Amino acid sequence: MNIGAAFTPADAARLLDTCAAGVVLIGVLIAGTRSMGRAIWLVAVQAVLLSAAVVGVGVATGSTHLVLGGLLTLASRGIAVPLILGRILRASPVRVERNPYLGPRVSLVVAIAIVFAAAIAVDSATLGGSLDGPINASINAARALPASVAEVLTGLLIAMTRRKGLSIVVGLLIFENGLALTAFSLTYGMPFVVELGATFDLLLVLVAVGVYARRMLTVFGTLSTDPLRNLRG
Amino acid sequence: MNDLIVAALLLVPLLGGLAAWLLHGRAVKLVAYASMFLVCSVGLGLAVAVFRTGRVVAFGGVISIDDLGAYLLILTVLVAATALAASPRYISHELTAGKLRPRDEGHYYALFLWFVGTLVAVPLVDNLGLLWVAIEATTVVSALLVGINRSPDAIEAAWKYLILGTIGVGFALLATLLAYASSVRVLGESSDALNWTTLMTIAPQLNPNLLRLSFVFALAGYGTKMGLAPFHTWLPDAHSQAPSPISALLSGVSLIAAFYALVRFHLVAAAGLGSAFSSNLLIFFGLLSIAVALPFLIRQEDVKRLLAYSSVEHMGVLALGLGFGGPLALLGVVAHMGFHALTKATLFISAGELVQQYGSRRLSAIRGTMTASPVAGGALGSGIVLLGGLPPSGLFVTEFAIIVGGVTRGYGLAAALAALLLALCFVALAVHGSRIVWGHSGPVDAARALDWSMALRLGLPLAAVAVLGLWTPDALASTFESVRSVLAVIGA
Repeated sequence: MNIGAAFTPADAARLLDTCAAGVVLIGVLIAGTRSMGRAIWLVAVQAVLLSAAVVGVGVATGSTHLVLGGLLTLASRGIAVPLILGRILRASPVRVERNPYLGPRVSLVVAIAIVFAAAIAVDSATLGGSLDGPINASINAARALPASVAEVLTGLLIAMTRRKGLSIVVGLLIFENGLALTAFSLTYGMPFVVELGATFDLLLVLVAVGVYARRMLTVFGTLSTDPLRNLRG
Repeated sequence: MNDLIVAALLLVPLLGGLAAWLLHGRAVKLVAYASMFLVCSVGLGLAVAVFRTGRVVAFGGVISIDDLGAYLLILTVLVAATALAASPRYISHELTAGKLRPRDEGHYYALFLWFVGTLVAVPLVDNLGLLWVAIEATTVVSALLVGINRSPDAIEAAWKYLILGTIGVGFALLATLLAYASSVRVLGESSDALNWTTLMTIAPQLNPNLLRLSFVFALAGYGTKMGLAPFHTWLPDAHSQAPSPISALLSGVSLIAAFYALVRFHLVAAAGLGSAFSSNLLIFFGLLSIAVALPFLIRQEDVKRLLAYSSVEHMGVLALGLGFGGPLALLGVVAHMGFHALTKATLFISAGELVQQYGSRRLSAIRGTMTASPVAGGALGSGIVLLGGLPPSGLFVTEFAIIVGGVTRGYGLAAALAALLLALCFVALAVHGSRIVWGHSGPVDAARALDWSMALRLGLPLAAVAVLGLWTPDALASTFESVRSVLAVIGA
């Protein structure tokens, strides 16, 4: 392929590094924002960066599986998911995270700490030696592993420390983006059928979130999870 | 031919659900019954074929059903049929009570069939990635069913289930990724590098560090879906708020579907690392689950939450037995899966009936059922006692086998602790059961008369569990035995 000749593996590796750094930066920014609208488009940009990295490596290595997988990510996580979340947000009267369990400034600091911890942990783990990247690969995708671990943890942080249902879902999506990046960096993604199935599941989750967000708005008049603490024992 | 049969098994619930979503009135129930009949007969036929002739493979190895899968398939279709049979009565009461809107009926049956479809897919797939896809799909579809009546509590339960379930099962995806990563170095990036059958044959060559990490994440991920403590917090909410026939499916089948996935990971880990690592983790979390469930069983106020916490207890028993390993405990695990599924599904259906008759879910209200509602009340009371493990309940025999099996494998302390905890659980359940049957009755909605088909549907499974504990026909015994041989860890 012509593009393949112009776009060398070295370029792809640089693209991967840049995108991984961007993904991590966006995770930190979302941890530090109160605006749910901004969180939604930031998480969309994160997915776009993720798909750019995958498509880039796919083009450089001539792997149609990766290019298709990257485009699937773009269409689902980059476009469809933010559109669904945007619809929910427009129906909600309150569009900022008013009093999360962990304020945005503290979250920001914790998210930065997570990034460094993930980098150190992945480096020192015994995994380091065993992950020389998948065989037959000219680009070592395992270099994105610290970023992916950081995103999995940042996603959990946000999902656990926010009160608004929509913010929790944004945390869930960062977690899912982290998982997708992990899949890419460990093994160049999953077999394509599995990726197709996982994407379908993610869209189903978002549909269910949409259904329950609407019910929360009609029954409680808010997307806050505060009324959701009646079941005990 | 196999392709066609498997395709039918997966497509019938999908298309039936689609039809149920679009249709109105009587046609909805007709479609649901017809689809369920097809799924049942095809599923049972397929399972019998597996037991007769060995592994059934279809779609070029994507689908591969062994004895364990066939067993789960049988339990799935049996419980699904029971749950569907109980649905019209439950739904019509909810419609009259104004808790459901008329068009919810079609949505209920559609989601019911889709839920069954995703559950049926679990034992069919060989690929651990597709197994994950199927289990995640069960979460989403059943979460939509949990909150179908739009009450605040149901919305809370469904939301928690959806979010915690998705995050939990996300860890199972991480486990699957690590298993894949541990194998691509041996197999290359072929799509069968995630096939369980392939992984088992090359297990000793897999990267041990990745495999160990993979099992830990699988335990956290599928353990969440299975309701192992401390990942069980969503379970009592979701299982108690769901419509009762759905509770039957959730507690009876979807928990053991997750257990089934965990078994697959345990077997790969044990074959690659030796059985000690994963077995010890399973024993620890099994014991923890039983211990965590106990106080909630004792102090429980809500009949459906009582049953839900008992599911946590029983999933703990399964994890414990799997961890113990050895022929006796594993045979116990296999039979326990089946007995628990039948008992718990029946109990949720009878509890749902009583909750509607008494207009309350409180155990302090549902009393004296012997006079007020002999069929459902008798089933609930006797079922709870069977569930606790009163001899000759099949569940007593299986728990006994698991504990003795644990002792013979050298896990004396864990087995003794389990025996003590299970005895206490039994006492708690027996007290609740006897109050339900003999206590002083409150006001009852007398309009709902005795129903012979219901008596049969509730009585048969409970009688089976009571009888099979004492006497197991040869055919069933050999079935249990062949399923157990799948669970046996290579080299142990």
